[in-house]
Amino acid sequence: MYNIEDFSQFRRQSQKGILVIYINILYKVLKAFWFLLFLFIQKFSKIPEGKLVYIYIGVAALLMFFLIRAFLIFKNFQFKIAHNHFILKKGILKKTNTSIPFDRVQNINFKQNIIQQIIDVHEVNIETAGSSKAEISIKALSYKEASALKQAITVLDNNSSATSSIETVEKPLLKVGFFALIKVSLTENHLQSLLLLLAVLVGFFQQINDLLDRLGKQDILDNYITKNTSSLENNVLLIVGFLILLSVTAVLSSLVRVMLRHFNLTVFVKNSALEIYQGLITKKSVILKKDKVQHITISHNPIKKKLGISFITFKQAISGKVKKKKDKIIKIVGCKLIQVSAIKDLLFPDENFDDLAQNFSDSYFRTRLYFRCFLVLIIINIGLYLGFGNSSIFWINSLLIPIFMGAIELSFKKRYYFFNTDVLIVGSGTIETHKTYLPFFKVQNVELKQTLFQAQKNVADIVFQTASGKIKIPCIHIEKAKQIYNYTLFKIETSQKLWM
Amino acid sequence: MTDSFQNIPVTSFPDITKIEFKSIHKRYLKVLLINVFLVFLVVFPVLFFVDKKGLFELSRNSIWVYLALFLVFIAVLSIKTIGFKKRKYAIREKDVSYKNGVFFRSLTTVPFNRIQHIEIDQGPISRFFGLASLSVFTAGDSSDDLKISGLLKEDAQQIKEFISNKIDV
Repeated sequence: MYNIEDFSQFRRQSQKGILVIYINILYKVLKAFWFLLFLFIQKFSKIPEGKLVYIYIGVAALLMFFLIRAFLIFKNFQFKIAHNHFILKKGILKKTNTSIPFDRVQNINFKQNIIQQIIDVHEVNIETAGSSKAEISIKALSYKEASALKQAITVLDNNSSATSSIETVEKPLLKVGFFALIKVSLTENHLQSLLLLLAVLVGFFQQINDLLDRLGKQDILDNYITKNTSSLENNVLLIVGFLILLSVTAVLSSLVRVMLRHFNLTVFVKNSALEIYQGLITKKSVILKKDKVQHITISHNPIKKKLGISFITFKQAISGKVKKKKDKIIKIVGCKLIQVSAIKDLLFPDENFDDLAQNFSDSYFRTRLYFRCFLVLIIINIGLYLGFGNSSIFWINSLLIPIFMGAIELSFKKRYYFFNTDVLIVGSGTIETHKTYLPFFKVQNVELKQTLFQAQKNVADIVFQTASGKIKIPCIHIEKAKQIYNYTLFKIETSQKLWM
Repeated sequence: MTDSFQNIPVTSFPDITKIEFKSIHKRYLKVLLINVFLVFLVVFPVLFFVDKKGLFELSRNSIWVYLALFLVFIAVLSIKTIGFKKRKYAIREKDVSYKNGVFFRSLTTVPFNRIQHIEIDQGPISRFFGLASLSVFTAGDSSDDLKISGLLKEDAQQIKEFISNKIDV
């Protein structure tokens, strides 16, 4: 039908795309109205025969309507490549015409959810740093078409490196196998996983509560909960059991989370870009262009350090008011030291960070942390006292204060910064250790902040605003801060390189 | 490459502290004060209404609540007046800077070659005094990176022109 390599004429996606779009619409509708379906099933027996026919016809008409809609979306979705621009026409009634110059393209990602895996098509997402309207998602392309499109966009963008891109089967820079991934997931921050799980459960619980409320069966759940909590209070064994259950759930949820996201994680280096493949149910492939990365953070925690693995977070430019910030943060896990330094070499070639002395924050930073913790402690105490109305609850401080103090000392010790001519490195973390690499010329603007108390101590905070968030060095001596401030401005203003 | 930084005398970089900062226009103080008045012009009647209706049972202590609000009013007025003198801006060959704050001092600099777009806007009160504010935006999620309020309309226009020319080059 179409020549696979030819994108100069307007063309549609693979015809299987209708199915993908159709299922996508159905999924969205179901997600929004699933309780209606539930109600319907509940009341199914009470509906008289005669009316049932109308309902069937109504549902069939709706399904038909969605199918036609999916077909029209497919029919009107056309794209081509011309003059180094990707051009897209879409819309059934409201027609939109989008054109994206190649050098604005940040990422070309492949994605496959279960349906796309079954019918063997790939979803291609073209990400830009511009407005979120310019994000393009082509739902269904065959693998050949998808990679041809990717090739067309990336090669034309990088003419210089195109010559060196002789297709060879390269050895992956990083491949994390099943067992390595288990090792990674067991050493995750389980508390965080648990909180994430709880957040999901709370949302789910509320939905069920809503539903039962509608059915007038609120009492059932309430009774169930009160019965269980009252027995909880009486039984220490149950509490211990509950705690064990909680920790097992936490570990399991991190296991599942890591497996789902990072299964079969493979990283290639191609044309000064990183290609990352990962995912179990939804397979994702991301191309990370070297120039588009704003800053990276290399992190590990004590256990991971023992095992010699760390994870790297890549931050790219985010546009105006994007809700889905998460998509722009790319994380790869289970990196060994060699791989970390390989990635560092790729992103910051010819840089040497080894013999640079670390500079630490002024001790005022510790004072400030103590002061803030003190305020938090007071709030916790008041809250607990009001909640329990029992003064013996203050004993909890004997547990909280050492934890807080330990955390403060750790985060003070882990706060440091140093820099060479081009790159600033900031360390942070409490239990985890993070090390952020920020090239000076990627900074968007700088801010020097000082409270009256800081002014008395001659210290100031310095905040670097980048296209992907803020990086802060707290409480350093004002003279040093000013030097860094001036130097950063000098670096930005004399830089000829594109920050994106 | 690494060592070269140590060899560069830092004093040779343009120093942000050595430049002359300009104050914003005096009339802007009036705009600030009028804004504060307007807010309290709304808050006082609301408090009066609550008091008369006895909504929160504060009739016994009502005199103290009025007094507290009045003190807050005076405090805000004086902070705005003191803070007004601290609002300063500077425009150099390659960047624009703004500093403000009494308790929380801050100094921000945006280099021209990182600016995405510039905006001039005028509130109704500012328009009456012939003033405007200039906002400068860079990439990223920060809503507005640098905003200089209380410039004369013509000055704001001129600065915008100047920066726009610099960006296009």
